[in-house]
Amino acid sequence: MTYYVFTLVFFLFDYWILAMGLNIQYGETGILNFAYIGFVAIGAYFTGVFSLHSAKGTGQFYILGLGLPFPLNLLLGGIAAMCLALFVALITLRRLRTDYLAIVLISLSLVLYDFCNNYVGLFNGADGLYNVPEPFAKPFGLNVNSFIPFFACVAAAVSLLMWFAMSRVMRSPLGRTFRAVRDDEVVAAALGKNVFRVKLKSMLIGSFYAGVGGGLLIQFGGSFNPTAWLPGETFVVFAVLLVGGIGSNLGMFVGALLVETLLIHLPAFLPEIPGHPGLIEYFDSALVGIVLMVMLWFRPQGVAPERLRRTTSFGVVPRDSDGSGTTGSLATSAALELGDAP
Amino acid sequence: MQLFWLSLGFGFVTASVLAIAAVGLSLQFGITNYVNFAYGDFMALGGFFAYVLNNEVFHLNIWIALVLGALAMGVLAVIINRLILGPFARRFTSGHYVLIVTFGLSLILLNLEYSIWGAQVRFFNMPISQAKSIGPLLLTKNQLIVMAIAVVLMIAVHTMLKVTRLGKCMRAMSDNTTLAMTSGIDTNRITTITWFLSGSLAGVAGTVLGISEGNLTPASGELFLFVIFAAVIVGGVGSIYGAMAGAVLIGLATEISAAFINPSYKLDIAFVILILALLTRPSGLFSRPGTT
Repeated sequence: MTYYVFTLVFFLFDYWILAMGLNIQYGETGILNFAYIGFVAIGAYFTGVFSLHSAKGTGQFYILGLGLPFPLNLLLGGIAAMCLALFVALITLRRLRTDYLAIVLISLSLVLYDFCNNYVGLFNGADGLYNVPEPFAKPFGLNVNSFIPFFACVAAAVSLLMWFAMSRVMRSPLGRTFRAVRDDEVVAAALGKNVFRVKLKSMLIGSFYAGVGGGLLIQFGGSFNPTAWLPGETFVVFAVLLVGGIGSNLGMFVGALLVETLLIHLPAFLPEIPGHPGLIEYFDSALVGIVLMVMLWFRPQGVAPERLRRTTSFGVVPRDSDGSGTTGSLATSAALELGDAP
Repeated sequence: MQLFWLSLGFGFVTASVLAIAAVGLSLQFGITNYVNFAYGDFMALGGFFAYVLNNEVFHLNIWIALVLGALAMGVLAVIINRLILGPFARRFTSGHYVLIVTFGLSLILLNLEYSIWGAQVRFFNMPISQAKSIGPLLLTKNQLIVMAIAVVLMIAVHTMLKVTRLGKCMRAMSDNTTLAMTSGIDTNRITTITWFLSGSLAGVAGTVLGISEGNLTPASGELFLFVIFAAVIVGGVGSIYGAMAGAVLIGLATEISAAFINPSYKLDIAFVILILALLTRPSGLFSRPGTT
């Protein structure tokens, strides 16, 4: 029982991190990243190959295999996702409008998937990586049962740290510039902001969050294979973000609780319908799409929406009682905010 | 050399499938001005409609099943537009929510297909045809019919756009919806017809994809989607003739490359071409000035 509860707790915190990363890209800067799960996967795979030892004699095929200790491999996994983001951003961000960018990114997601699935030498192909060492298992003497609660706490600590960092970024001048670019690129450019560089920074920060979230996934489960990151998984992160409320870090925690924990992982414990293997899982995935559409139609600002930020001469006062974040007033507020950005 | 001619034949077949799919996607994009990320699932669904008519009820000939399956998919596309996409597109003009909604629609359709037909691979019930050599090419009768269908559909779409009143209205709407509306064009009716055509073309493409690949699964449309996107972007987004040319280019390139590299990666070639096209000609091979 505690096993299940702590599994749910882990996924709650992990998807909170993933939603924060997507929020900085889509919610704050307006980059419609439909390849998000690809960055998560790259983070997971690299965290895996940095912590696994040499591939010889394990029956698996993968690159690197450095056997690095826990926080270091997670960090490097995040940086690997950032490297992919840098490559993608340099090619696409400068040239493409949001909808064409979305096309290219979803294609990237499908191609990455196809490539990792077929090319065995990179990350063991369709079988994926397994037997990834459990962090802290030896020094703390953890067994299979005690590892799960322990690592759920580690994930909670990491996500709180990243939440703190993210809320600092969002309140910084850079965060204000992100929102100005989202609301109107031309206005931001007219105020002297280099729109491409702003978007690039947003891409890199968001991808780091994706990579770390992916790294935690592989460390928790000990394995990671291509079925875990089909392009449709990106949609789950979008659902977490939109159900929780774009722009609100705490709202995304609620979103992760509602979508990831209640909608996706809880039904996995339901018994199978005899004669129809996987039927519950299929209905469940379709339900995520339906919930998101219903949510967008009736409450587009999310369960816990972004609060309006007002600027005074004393600095930013982040409170507004009614919290009805309509795009019009947000655009104005972001433009006003930018006025005092250095 | 033998291998080259063989893969050239396959290239023409893939180009035919791609051309049908890419034109259907471009038509709808030109009119409604947003990309339908559920298009791959429209294709698979059209294929499954044909499969049901061909294998489960009526046991129709595959080519009759193809036509009926495509018409059914066209009607379903109109219903989806009326109930879901149309209202969302009218209400949310910013934030690209419509794109997220089509992405969600893709997830819903894919999982509905999985719940109805399961994950196993399906086959059409059709006569096996001997390969015949036509010049240096080696093609089966079914492959020739697929190519003929594509050529007929391309000529039909071209004639419709250039000659008929409907086609002129569609081109007017694609250029400027507001201006078309003030000129007395019933834009709602045109949008409905466009969704019907787009859905039908997706249905045809899904079935001929199943015929040319030899099998059908709910995911086959989804994985083919990025190849369609590559064809559409290489040709220039929203341009019908660009989509046709892009389809031929991508179709030939993927199949011919399969003769020289591991065929598992042949679809990835489409993405490499897409990136090269973005770096050199970001607005497409056949873009008109001022319509980026």
